[in-house]
Amino acid sequence: MSEVVKKEERKELTRFRPATDILEREDGFHIFMDMPGVSKEDMSIDLEEDELTVTGRSIQCPVPGEKFVEMQFGGCEYIRSVSISDIVDRERIKASVENGVLELFLPKLEKVQPKRISIEAQ
Amino acid sequence: MVIDFNTLYNFPSRLDRVFEEFLRSPMGDDRRLAYPPLNLSNDEENIYVRAEVPGVTIDDVELTLTDKTLVIKGERTAPEGKFYRQERPSGVFHRVINIGVPVDREKVTAAMKDGVLTVTLPKSEEVKPRTISIDVA
Repeated sequence: MSEVVKKEERKELTRFRPATDILEREDGFHIFMDMPGVSKEDMSIDLEEDELTVTGRSIQCPVPGEKFVEMQFGGCEYIRSVSISDIVDRERIKASVENGVLELFLPKLEKVQPKRISIEAQ
Repeated sequence: MVIDFNTLYNFPSRLDRVFEEFLRSPMGDDRRLAYPPLNLSNDEENIYVRAEVPGVTIDDVELTLTDKTLVIKGERTAPEGKFYRQERPSGVFHRVINIGVPVDREKVTAAMKDGVLTVTLPKSEEVKPRTISIDVA
């Protein structure tokens, strides 16, 4: 019996790529991701080199004894990666969650200085 | 290119997607049918209507309860800016849910948490199952 229960728990949640808006404003880039049902605690954002990965788990806990008539959404896992370029100021990336929408703000670097390589003549 | 989207089509991998088509969960199928997706359930006391409406506050939603239906109406506005990618639906949404059971109109409550709207409609006293005790004479 306990084995059966364990299996149930380990069952992987369905994965979804959250619907995402990526837009540019004067101050930088804004990314909005729809992650309904995910609380702040169940969300994580990782920046590894150029890749920003957002994950979140939405866990539906219905009232005990509840019978479903229609189910169009349920517990799931959201995961999405976005590659970001060098003109984003990684130190100042901001994230906030409001009403199930994650907003990421990626400010542009104050000054993007292209590196010039001088060629020496021999 | 400023933001590069090369990862978008890698995850889940294309092969995974093919399998996903076959092994899709029952709840995923209706996702694109109507907005917002709804969950309808009930227990002995209440009827629950849940909707996924991320980015909408409770004040933006208009709930109308008539004798047989519950209407959820609202609007999602798109943020301002130059879009590189726009996948989040925006605009007016409107869903009508048929409620076949009489409900106690005065005690209907609605709450919004993490973008999920929950409307709790308590069933009227007369439709609740009752235990009738039989006195043995």
